[in-house]
Amino acid sequence: MLGINLVWAVALLYIALLFMVAYYADLRQKAGRSITANPVVYSLSIAVYATTWTYYGSVGKAATTGLDFLPIYLGPTLTAFSWWFLLKKIVRISKENNITSIADFISSRYGRSQWLGAIITVITLMGIMPYIALQLRAVSTSFTIITGYHDFHLGILEYFHLPSPHPGFFSALLLALFSVLFGARHLVSAERHEGMVAAIALESIVKLAAMLIVGGFITYGLYDGMGDLFARLHERDPALLTRLTTLGGSGDNSYSSMFSLLTLSMSAVMLLPRQFQVMVLENAREEHLNSAAWRFPAYMFLMNLFVMPIAVAGILMTGSSAGADYFVLTLPIRAGHPWLALVAFLGGFSASAGMVMVESIAVSTMLLNHVLMPAVVKITPRNWFPVLLINLKRFGIILVILLGYLYQGMVGESYLLANMGLISFSAAVQFAPALIGGLYWRRGNKAGAIAGLLLGFAVWSYTLLFPSLMQAGHWHSDILTVGPWGLALLKPQALFGLTGLDPWTHALFWSMFLNISAYLSLSIICNQGEKEQEQATRFVKVFAPESESPQWETKRLSKPVTIVQFVNLMSKFIGEQQASAAISDYLGDREIDGKGGVSEFELPSLKRFVEKTLAGSLGGAAAGAVVESFLSDIGSKMESVYDIFSTVRTSRDQSREALFVRLRASEIMNRSLRLDIIMEDLLALLLREFKLDLCVIRLLNDQGVLQVRSFKGEGGERITAEDRILEVDTHVGEAFLGRRTEFFNDTTYIVKPIAKEIFQREGIKSFAHVPISSEGSPPVGILSVFSRSIVGLFTEQFVELLESLAGQLAQAVRIVSEREAREGERRQKEAAQLENARVTRDLELAKQIQLSLLPESAPQLAGVRIACRCTPATHVGGDYYDFFQRGNDQLDLVMADVSGHSVGAALIMVETRSVLRAQMQTTMSTRETLRVLNELLYDDLTRAELFITMFCCTYDGAHRTLSYANAGHTRPLLFRAGSWRELDADGLILGVKQEVLFEEKSVQLESGDLLFLYTDGIIEAENAERELFGEERLCAIVSGMLEGEPESVIDRIMAEVAAFCCPAPLQDDISMVVMKLL
Amino acid sequence: MKRRLKEVVIRRLKLKDTWVICFALGLVMMNYPFISIFNKSTLPFGIPLLYLYLLIGWVFSIFIVYLFSRAAGHESESGGEP
Repeated sequence: MLGINLVWAVALLYIALLFMVAYYADLRQKAGRSITANPVVYSLSIAVYATTWTYYGSVGKAATTGLDFLPIYLGPTLTAFSWWFLLKKIVRISKENNITSIADFISSRYGRSQWLGAIITVITLMGIMPYIALQLRAVSTSFTIITGYHDFHLGILEYFHLPSPHPGFFSALLLALFSVLFGARHLVSAERHEGMVAAIALESIVKLAAMLIVGGFITYGLYDGMGDLFARLHERDPALLTRLTTLGGSGDNSYSSMFSLLTLSMSAVMLLPRQFQVMVLENAREEHLNSAAWRFPAYMFLMNLFVMPIAVAGILMTGSSAGADYFVLTLPIRAGHPWLALVAFLGGFSASAGMVMVESIAVSTMLLNHVLMPAVVKITPRNWFPVLLINLKRFGIILVILLGYLYQGMVGESYLLANMGLISFSAAVQFAPALIGGLYWRRGNKAGAIAGLLLGFAVWSYTLLFPSLMQAGHWHSDILTVGPWGLALLKPQALFGLTGLDPWTHALFWSMFLNISAYLSLSIICNQGEKEQEQATRFVKVFAPESESPQWETKRLSKPVTIVQFVNLMSKFIGEQQASAAISDYLGDREIDGKGGVSEFELPSLKRFVEKTLAGSLGGAAAGAVVESFLSDIGSKMESVYDIFSTVRTSRDQSREALFVRLRASEIMNRSLRLDIIMEDLLALLLREFKLDLCVIRLLNDQGVLQVRSFKGEGGERITAEDRILEVDTHVGEAFLGRRTEFFNDTTYIVKPIAKEIFQREGIKSFAHVPISSEGSPPVGILSVFSRSIVGLFTEQFVELLESLAGQLAQAVRIVSEREAREGERRQKEAAQLENARVTRDLELAKQIQLSLLPESAPQLAGVRIACRCTPATHVGGDYYDFFQRGNDQLDLVMADVSGHSVGAALIMVETRSVLRAQMQTTMSTRETLRVLNELLYDDLTRAELFITMFCCTYDGAHRTLSYANAGHTRPLLFRAGSWRELDADGLILGVKQEVLFEEKSVQLESGDLLFLYTDGIIEAENAERELFGEERLCAIVSGMLEGEPESVIDRIMAEVAAFCCPAPLQDDISMVVMKLL
Repeated sequence: MKRRLKEVVIRRLKLKDTWVICFALGLVMMNYPFISIFNKSTLPFGIPLLYLYLLIGWVFSIFIVYLFSRAAGHESESGGEP
C-alpha cells in the first residue's frame, strides 16, 4: 500500500507535466514550428489504441482464456498493410473536405445526410459506453488497489458527511475535467489539436515504459525469463498451460474467436472515433503513414511482449487467475515493491486518460455536429453562437464520460475489462461496410448505408449490449436462456438457433450479415440523389488526376452573393477573426471585380469553400444546411446552369458545337473584306445557333462614341438606336472601359437604373456585353447579346465562346481598319508628290525669270571685251550682276551676292536690281551708289534677315581708269603681265548698319589687263575631301589664259570647278564677269 | 547484381498489389486451417509453439512493413531509372 497523498501528488504532478507539454506544443503550433508533425509522434499518438484494456485487461484475458488476447493487436498489424492505400485515401478525402469525425466522413460520402450523421453518432455514443466504462473502472480499481481507498479519495471529504459516491465517480469527474481542458479550447475541430497529440504521445511513452519496466521486473527479476515461467506452469498444471496456449474447438479462444477478434480489431483500429481522430484528422502529412505502418505495430508488439509472462507469473504467485486484470499492479505490491506499483499505476492512468480524452472529444464533436447542430442551425445565427457552440462541445465531452460512468455502474464487476472493450469494438465494426463500400463502390448509397447501420446496430444491441446489462443482474429474466416470450429462436446469444460460437463471433456474424446485405441490396435497388452522386464521385475518385474532373461548373447561384455576405455568415459560427483569415486565404491571387465580388463563375467554388470551412467546425451536413438556408434567406439558390449545347457538359474539352461555331465564324471573317457584311453574318450566326433574341455590335468611332454598327433580332428599338458614350454608368461602357465581359444572368438583380428600365420594358432576362478586342490590345467595340427567355444563359463556357468570337471580330476590324489606313496613306503620298512637282515647276519658272533679269549679253564697248555668266546652284539663287553703259566710253559694273539661295534671296536680288536700276539713272560715284543702296535696302534686309555683298565699279574708256567701291564682296582680281592683284576697298556688307561710309579707289588700266569679277561660289566649291577650290587654283587657271578670249576663260573655269566638285553638284551659285582690255 | 536485386525489390514493394497480397497472406496465416499446424502443446525453447509462432510471425510482418515504408520513401531516388 502507498500513502494516498503520495499517489495524489504523483498523479497531479504527472497531469501538470502533461499540461505543460500540451501547452508547449500549442505554442509551437502557433509559431508554425510544430513538434507533433513528425512520424514518431504520429505513431505514438496512434498508440492511444492501447488503453487500460491493453495495459491491465490483456493480462486478465491471457490468464483466464489464454492466447485470444493477441488477435486484438495482431489485427492492427495486419491492417498496416492496407494503410498505404486505404488509410491514405481516407486521409486525403478528409483533408480535402475538412472532415471532423468518422460520422462526418460517412455522412459526407452519402450526400451529407444529416440523418446518417445522427445515426452514426447515436451508435457511437451507445457503442462507446462500455469502452469508457472500462477505463473508469480500471482507474478507480487501480487506485483502490494501491491506496486501499475507494476511488479517488481526498482527506478533506471525510469532514463532509456526503453520501459516499459510487466507485469511479471521482475518476469520471477527473477525466472529464482533463478532457475539457485539453480538447475543447477551440471550436474548429478540423484543424489539428497539437497540444492534445503531444500529450497522448507522452502518455504512450509513459505507458509503454511502465509496462516494460513492470514486465521486465516480473519476468527477469522475480523469475528466470519466459522459458522458466512456462516451465514452472507446465510443471504445476500442464493442462492449464495447454488450455492457455492453444486454441480450442469452440467458445472463447477458438479458431472462430481468433477470426472474429482479428476482424474486430482490424476495423476498430481505424473506425473507433478516437482512432479516426488521431490517425486521420491529426495526421499532418500523408508520408507519416508509411513510417507509422511499422512503428505502430512495433509499439504494440513491445506492449504485449510481457503480457503472457505476467499472466503466468500471476497464476504462479496467486495460485489462480482471480483478479488477473490487475496483476500488473498487484504483483509488484506482492513482491514488496510498492514504488514499482506506482509506476504501473501511472502507466495505467496514462492509458486511460489518453483514451478517454481523445474518445470523448471525438464523440462530442460528432454529437455537436450531427445531433445538436441540426437543431441549432434552425435558429437565425447570432453573434454569441461561437460561445454557445464551444460550451455545447464541453457539455458533450462530459456527457460522453458520464454515460460511460452510468454503464459502469450498471454492469459492475461482472465483465472482464477486455470483454467490455470488445462490446465497443463490435459496435465500431458496424461502420465498416458503409465506409469501405463508400470508398470503393460508387453505387453504394444513403438508403443502403442507413439501413445497414440500423440493422447492424439493432443486432449489436440485442446480442451484446442487452445481454451485458442482463448479466449484471439488474433484471431478473430468463430471456438469455429461453428467449423472449419463450421463443428459443430469438435467444440473444443464439440468434436463429446459431450456437457453438463465442458471443463476439455470434454478434459479428449476425450484425455483419444483416448490415452488409442491407447495404448491398438497397444500394442496388435505390437510386442516388444528385448531391449524393457528386459526393460519391469525389470520394471514390479522390486520387483521379485533375484532368479527369469536369472543367465547367454545372451549377450557378440564381442571385449573386458577395464575399462580405459569406464572411458575415462564417463569422457567426467560427468567429470574425478566423472567418477573415479563411477568406483571405481562399482569395489569394484570385481576381476580384470592381464590386468586391468574385466572378459569377467563381461563386459555386466560393460557396463550396464556405461550406468546407464551416464543415471544419460544424461538420459537413450541418455546414451544408447552414449555407443552404442562408442562400434561401437572401433569395438565392443553386440551380443547374443552362446547358447551351445540350451534349457535353462535363467534358474538359470544348463541345463539338462550340468548335463548329468557331469554325463558321472564321469562315465568315475570311469570306469578305467588308466589315458590315462580316458583322451582319456573324450576328446571324449567333442568333441562329443560340437562343438569343437580339445581338448588337457597337464600334468605337473617331469621336470616341460607341456607335451601333450592326444589329439583328427582334425589338430593342432603344437598345439599337442609341450609341453609348464611354461611361461606367452603362453596362456597355463598363465592359469597354473594364476590358471585361459584363453579363447578367438575371436582370431582376440589376442595379443600374437606366439599364433596369430598358430591360424591363424590353422584357430582357439576361444579357452580355463582350468587348471586341484581340489579345492584349484595347477594345475596339462591344458585342452585345440579349435573351428574353432564358435566365442563366451565360455559363463560363458560353461566355468564353462569345469572347473568342469577339476576338475574331476584333481581328477582322483591325484588318479592315489597317487596310483603310494604308489606302489613306497612299493617297496622301500621291498628293504630296503632286504638290512637290508643282513647286519644282514653279521654282524652275522662277529660275528662268531670274536668269532673264540678268543681262542677256555683255555690253559692247570700244577697247574692251567683256563676258559674263551666272550658274545658279538650285532653282533660284541670290547672285546678281549688271552693266550700265553711259555714253560710248563709260560703263558701270555691279556684282552682288545675297546671302542664301532661297526664294527670299531671289526676291531680295530682284528688289536690289530695281533699286539699283533706279539709282543708276543719276550719275553718282560708286561709293555714293553703295551708300544710297544700303540706306534704301537696310529695312528690307533686316526684316528678311539677309545680307548683300556688292562690288561696284565704273570704267572710263577714255582714260582707261577704273574706280570702284566694295561692300564686303569677294575682291575682284586684276591680272597684268603674268602677275595679279586684288582690288581692295573698305566697306561693310549691305544690311548690317544703316549709315555706312564706303571707300572709293581707282586704278589705271593698261592694254592686256584682265579684270575678273566673281562670287564666292567658285573659291568655296568643295571636293569630296572637303578641300576648297581656293583663290590660288583660280589665279593659276586665269594666269595661263590671259591671251584667250574672255568667253573661253569662263568656260574653262566652269569646267574646272565642276570637275573639282565632281561627283557632287555645285553647292553655291557661281557668277563671273571677265573684262579684257585690248 | 546485389544492386539490381535491391532495385527490383524496391519497385515491387511500391506496388499496391504487393501490399494487398501481403495483407491477404497475413490473414490466411493467422486463421484456420493454417494456424492449426502450430496449435500443439509442445514447448520448443521452453515456449509454447503457438505463442512462439505468433510472436515470430508478428516480428516478421513488422519487418516486412518496415521494408515497405523504406521502399515508399525511396520514390525520389529510384524514380528516374528504367
